[in-house]
Amino acid sequence: MAASAVQELGGDQPPTPRKPLIQPGVISFLILVVILGGWELAGRFDLINPFFFSWPSAIAKAAWVMLMNGQLFVDLWFTGYAYLIGVIAACIFGSALGLAMGWWKTFGQIVDPYVVFFSAMPRIALYPVLLMLFGLGDMSRIMIVFIGVLFPVLFNAYVGAKQTPRLLIDVARVFGYSNNKLFLSIVLPSSLPYLMAGFRTGITLGMVLIVVAEFFGGSSGLGREIAITATMYKTPEMYAWLIYTSLAALIIVRATDYLERRALAWT
Amino acid sequence: MNDFLTIDKIHKSFPARESYLKVLDGITLRQGEGEVVAIVGASGSGKTTLLRIVAGLEQPDTGAVALRGKPVTGPGPERAMVFQQFGLLPWLNVLDNILFGLRPAGLTKDEAEERTHDAIARVGLTGFEKFMPKELSGGMQQRVGIARALAVRPALMLCDEPFASVDTLTRQTMQTDLQKVVRETATSVLLVTHDIEEAIFLGDRVIVFSSRPGRVMEEIPITLPKTRDHSVRTLSEFQELREHIWQRLQSKN
Repeated sequence: MAASAVQELGGDQPPTPRKPLIQPGVISFLILVVILGGWELAGRFDLINPFFFSWPSAIAKAAWVMLMNGQLFVDLWFTGYAYLIGVIAACIFGSALGLAMGWWKTFGQIVDPYVVFFSAMPRIALYPVLLMLFGLGDMSRIMIVFIGVLFPVLFNAYVGAKQTPRLLIDVARVFGYSNNKLFLSIVLPSSLPYLMAGFRTGITLGMVLIVVAEFFGGSSGLGREIAITATMYKTPEMYAWLIYTSLAALIIVRATDYLERRALAWT
Repeated sequence: MNDFLTIDKIHKSFPARESYLKVLDGITLRQGEGEVVAIVGASGSGKTTLLRIVAGLEQPDTGAVALRGKPVTGPGPERAMVFQQFGLLPWLNVLDNILFGLRPAGLTKDEAEERTHDAIARVGLTGFEKFMPKELSGGMQQRVGIARALAVRPALMLCDEPFASVDTLTRQTMQTDLQKVVRETATSVLLVTHDIEEAIFLGDRVIVFSSRPGRVMEEIPITLPKTRDHSVRTLSEFQELREHIWQRLQSKN
């Protein structure tokens, strides 16, 4: 075929757009400084009750102590590994089951009523049952994350597999792909946007569940520390734990964003 | 004419509103090796259904299709297809999209890559191997679709309205280019289109299809020179054929 009909590669560099005078990030930071400064002063001058609200420098000090004596890492690990095991297991199992339900129609119809029933159940309501079954050990926390994350992942995978474009299935069949090969080379990748949406929902829901589960009891963990410091009115420590928990969540959400952008660059 | 592709008394109906809609009513066709047969008909004339039956994507209610005497019962590597909506896998780049079509053939890695690069060169996409489908224009995406079909070195290439989703300016260039590559590779082509000019320009023979249900109304051998360029469109013979086919498509039978 004539190459002339095809676009040429290469060309001039487009001009770079002018940057604004003040970056929005700088303004955000200034607002934070004003809020923290106001809070600090309000706390110091008894404008707010420090018993409930503390003030930033006290919270920062509490946070610093936890960081230096290593208590932060003990709890981060305790919560983190149960969370990760639960989330990863749920993402793998939920994706596989959901895709299979969407692709093999009869299988989907058989499993569907069970999925609908369990997904309607408020997940945290299961925690007392899990505690009874598994005790206060890691297993009950892993299971609550697993069950909680499983359903959003499964539902999205189910929808994703059902939405596999007819055209792409035809393409694979014409080129000689069997039904099973087609599942891996067409159904799985074309469902990836749905899977990622499910992972995102599951990952945030899992964080809520593990923190709430740790309120119930146990030896350590971020949720446990927030609950203990609150009941003991160790207000600066409580806020410090809250901030660390939020930071951990932020890092996980950002990492998910990054993975999603990488995985879905083709869309 | 030899019996490279034989289509015998194909009937096909689809369920519609508690009844059946007959789309193909006793289609019988012969195609010779190396021949380009263009089926032209209105939308709903069942021509795409016929192509899908030849591809093995659908089964006829009655009737049979055979390629080189071998009955068609499902898809096979001796038949490749070019789709109206291109059908590129959006998560694979140009190179991998073409390799995708070759994977079931079980070629060695070197041979698969050699064939892929050959096909890419033939459709004029050299330099675009790493591009993703979304980065290409419609015309270029269809070039990938054609390269993917060429790479499997099919005995018969099935083209389903290959340029219907490409803008008019690009379409004529691509028709010229497709014709060139088909002649170079001596590929037999069964093409389906609603574009009368496309059918005449590309076909050695044009089959005029009636609508609802699809029937063969007329077979017209095209006596224009085998290798054609854009200028054949201005020949009076071309114009007369176009007018004749247009009249046939207007008449109901």
